[in-house]
Amino acid sequence: MQPHSATGSPTPDDGSTALDHVRNMVSACIQCGTCTGSCPNALEMDLTPRKMWRLVILERLADVMASRTFILCSACYTCTLRCPRGLPLTTAMETLKGIAFTRREARHRNSRLFYEKFMQTVRHHGRLHEMAFMTGYFTAMKNPLTPLRFAPLGMKLMGKGKVEMGFGKSAATHLDALFDKVAEIERAAAAPLEKESHA
Amino acid sequence: MLACWQTCGYFNVFSNNVNKKTKKKHFFWQPFFLLKSELLSAMGRPAFHILVVDDESIIRQSLDAWLGDEEGYRVTMAASGAEALEKIAAAPFHLMLLDIKMPGMDGVTVLEKAKVIQPDLQVLMMTAYATVETAVEAMKIGAMDYLIKPFEPDALIPKVTAVYEAFREAGYRKETVGAIVLATGTTCFDPSVGKNPMGYGVVPNVVTSLAFERMLSGTGPDGGRLLRPSDKQPVKKAAWIQCVGSRDLQSGADFCSTVCCMFALKEAAVAKTVAGDDFQATIIYMDMRTFGKSFERYGQHTESTQGVRLERGRVHSIAPTPGSDDVAIRWTSASGEIHEERFDLVVLSVGQRPNARTASMAERLEVACDGFGFLKTAPFSDTRTGRAGIFAGGTLSGPSDIAESVIRASSAAVNASRTIHRAGGGLADKTAAPKTARDVSWEPPRILAVLCRCDTGTEMDLDLEAWSARLKQDPAVARVVNLDRICTADGWNALTQTDTTDVNRVLVGACRTFAYGKKAHGLTTAFGLDPALIETVAMDHHQGLGGPATVATIMAGISRLKNVSMEKNQGIAIVNRALVVGGGIAGMHAALAIADHGVDITLVEASEGLGGNLSWLHQTIDGTPIAPFLENTISQIEKHPKIEVMTDSRVVGAFGQAGHFFSTIETAGAPTMTVEHGAVILATGGVEAPTDAYGYGTSQAVVTQRELEIRIHENQLNTDGMTSVAMIQCVGSREEPRNYCSRVCCPTALKQALWMKSHSPDLQVYILYRDMMTCGLNEAWYTEARKQGVLFFQYEPNRKPEVSIDANEDMPVTVRLQDPILDAPVKITADLLVLATGIVLHLPETLTLAYGVERDRDGFFQEADSKWRPVEALKAGVFGCGITLSPRSIPEAVATAEAAAGRALAILMGERLPSARVTASVRHSLCTLCLRCIDTCPYGARFLDEAGQRVEVNPAMCQGCGDCATVCPNSASIVEGFSHRSLFGAIDGAMAM
Repeated sequence: MQPHSATGSPTPDDGSTALDHVRNMVSACIQCGTCTGSCPNALEMDLTPRKMWRLVILERLADVMASRTFILCSACYTCTLRCPRGLPLTTAMETLKGIAFTRREARHRNSRLFYEKFMQTVRHHGRLHEMAFMTGYFTAMKNPLTPLRFAPLGMKLMGKGKVEMGFGKSAATHLDALFDKVAEIERAAAAPLEKESHA
Repeated sequence: MLACWQTCGYFNVFSNNVNKKTKKKHFFWQPFFLLKSELLSAMGRPAFHILVVDDESIIRQSLDAWLGDEEGYRVTMAASGAEALEKIAAAPFHLMLLDIKMPGMDGVTVLEKAKVIQPDLQVLMMTAYATVETAVEAMKIGAMDYLIKPFEPDALIPKVTAVYEAFREAGYRKETVGAIVLATGTTCFDPSVGKNPMGYGVVPNVVTSLAFERMLSGTGPDGGRLLRPSDKQPVKKAAWIQCVGSRDLQSGADFCSTVCCMFALKEAAVAKTVAGDDFQATIIYMDMRTFGKSFERYGQHTESTQGVRLERGRVHSIAPTPGSDDVAIRWTSASGEIHEERFDLVVLSVGQRPNARTASMAERLEVACDGFGFLKTAPFSDTRTGRAGIFAGGTLSGPSDIAESVIRASSAAVNASRTIHRAGGGLADKTAAPKTARDVSWEPPRILAVLCRCDTGTEMDLDLEAWSARLKQDPAVARVVNLDRICTADGWNALTQTDTTDVNRVLVGACRTFAYGKKAHGLTTAFGLDPALIETVAMDHHQGLGGPATVATIMAGISRLKNVSMEKNQGIAIVNRALVVGGGIAGMHAALAIADHGVDITLVEASEGLGGNLSWLHQTIDGTPIAPFLENTISQIEKHPKIEVMTDSRVVGAFGQAGHFFSTIETAGAPTMTVEHGAVILATGGVEAPTDAYGYGTSQAVVTQRELEIRIHENQLNTDGMTSVAMIQCVGSREEPRNYCSRVCCPTALKQALWMKSHSPDLQVYILYRDMMTCGLNEAWYTEARKQGVLFFQYEPNRKPEVSIDANEDMPVTVRLQDPILDAPVKITADLLVLATGIVLHLPETLTLAYGVERDRDGFFQEADSKWRPVEALKAGVFGCGITLSPRSIPEAVATAEAAAGRALAILMGERLPSARVTASVRHSLCTLCLRCIDTCPYGARFLDEAGQRVEVNPAMCQGCGDCATVCPNSASIVEGFSHRSLFGAIDGAMAM
């Protein structure tokens, strides 16, 4: 339990040890807001990156996890480039995604499934196979309305020949060894985090 | 290369020959202390300029490759004799390689002509075998040598090297010195080289602060009008972006440049006065660091009165606006929203950077640099390097402002002088005493009138003739001389060589600039006359020499000279002793610095022991313990034969002037005594400000920084039993009535937070601040504290934290505040609350009255000039140091102490102070002892002698106001140099139209 709290907001839960790694990354932050100003997605975010770091420093894991900010990070690295403290902000955002997926946060279920299925397709096919990915994602979502929501986009893409139909070409491109190795490296690097590979 | 070492207290600084092995690819630059060395020595081979003259391009190219690319010389080519001569005429060369057989003009002719243009040019002839005889002939007319074509580099290079070496050695000078002062300074950050150029050099109308200073200047590109560079349109809206190249780890600067906040405020304020009321100035800053003396008030005044807008934030993108020359900048405001705004002009407040050459200079001198490239200094000193006898002044040892640089410079100078004194040396030779003036007091006045002829023309000549005739009517005027343009060198020579053996007074009539210029003082030596016998008057040439103003001044001057009284003021004999008031670290260091020069010191301390604030301070922010430093200083004081320490003592009154003060000192349990001294240094220091804010005094859990320091010092702080500590900065500081920054509290908070974190890493430390004033190299500790997990909360003075204390709780202190980043209320519970209350001055009224010291608005010692005379009072002979000037850290206090000592020594090392001003005296034969003068004198300088028979004047106290002369019914009281006859004569003269 931290001796500080924001009155009127939910108090942080004890899972905040997971956050320590990120907290160390950004502890030297001086809250100048350069990251927020630089971020092309900041307008879409419910919390600006600066607020996000402030919450991380204050160890408010629940508030952090409730936010979509780190999901919206498109890893453009502008904030990392401009941060006057030279902090690894993009990596910190990425790590937050990892924490959210590890904790299987309900709020980030869609994103987690999207990432998982995407990487699964790559693992099986050696590249992104649109049809396999779509099928996997929609099945995992367990919501019959999801495909309908994406239908207009799907039609458009198909019309332009951007979606490859069928399920072929997968046999010879197993990347299991590579993926396993990456997972092993990541486990070793993030051992204290117990972060599962979202790959 | 260069070597230096120390023998018997002396450094030998000299050059020896180049190491033969490394010679080939070595570029030289030389350190700065080689006096008068030429550019060549300073820059090495790139400054050695060679001209290659040959009509064959292949030869030119290969010579360029050998000499330029391989050897590093500066090589210029000429394809013909004519071109070569043109180039020699344009700029001098060191060496010319000259082909003999060329179309057009042959080599020998070129040699002849070149020698006319540049006689000292070294020439190496290049010749085919067939023309060797010609080459020999060429040597007879001035070529130094020849080479037979074709030749290999091995044949050419040694010859060139020999010429280069000869030049280089001629440029060196060997100096044996007792100490070295380094003041090579810093450079301005160049934004264009970094990862993020902030639009500089990319977006039009983005300028650096240095360029902006030029734009504001009357001698600048637009004559002082504020026009933007791209289209020369008036600037109506400008933004300053702070921390460009400072506090920026991306560009390797984990330090604060210290000066940028203040110069941005100044530039914005000045720009407003230059560009008019509709000018909008915005400063976008991270922390407004108004940490220096009176800076806080200046900052507030700039914002509230002059309307400069201050925005907390950091600009992240600077872009051109399509279709105009405006600059668009974006930043995140304190409240979190993103601002985008267009400005006519954007000024980048660029910081200070260590000079790139500092590192190699330091290496040669075997002194250390820190990670940024600033010179490392010894603990508790800003000027002593790690090597005895080498000192640093100015910004070399860390970013500083003008006043601080001047203080460090004085400190470095006095330390250098001490080093030499300790080794038995002395200061530089004194200049020869000025030629004694002729004694003409018993001669009747014979005046030489010198009138300056400003322009040629008959009108002028007629005027001057009329004046000659008019002046000669006066029998006291012996001669009248007209000289052309005294303000020029020729005119000045003519004036100083004017024969004055037949006269005993001189009147010089010249234009205003000359008459009131400093140069006129030099005439005393030239004429061998007392300054009182030389009068310079201003002639107004614009209104004609017959104009009433000129007539009045010249005639008044003549009358004054005729009636000048010759009472001599012998000046003040200087008492070779200094009084230092205050036995804190500043007072002690001032005393030591002066005493090391053989001057006696009386050190007066009000408490029972020496040490001041250092007696309760535990350690510095970098962990250096303070006690050994204090003990060492005290033991030096006690052992010093020239220092007399008076504890439990107070100065209760004083009178006198620079060179001779009389101070009355009261000591507990001892008779009052009077000390005579030549200068006084006030170092009475300050104490932590008292407070009753935030529940202080109601609970053991609320302490001040000083109390925390004492607990740490006395091992009474058990951090193991604590969960959380909160610190509030700026308690009662930076707002009325204590509207100044105490400068030490932010670093102290970091120091204590880091100490606690190092003892129990799990302890949570919160620092609630307004602006973190971690200037200079302290910024790195701010970064470190954040890395260690200290939590920082910024608050605004209109929304201060709220504290409630409940002694029954486990953690008795609860602090509530609004976090500006999250815009959410935050509640902190803590075991301990530490208040940074700042410093209040301890400068008793009796002292300021006794020595005529003025105070600034906050009560601190008012210096004569905030930038250039930062440790002296307006009244000569009175100095201040340490916290008496303004709050400061230990090294800064020591620097001011040494600076004040240096300035005091400038007085104390002399024997007499020249007659600085006029004083009154009494003609006893006329005095009727009515005693009106004694009653009248506002300075109490007059008294009746012991026998009660004579009125005496204490020249040390007399201010020469003349009140006594006006009340004396018998004209027995006179002020030297202002006799009745002289004054009335001048008035009569002025009225004689």
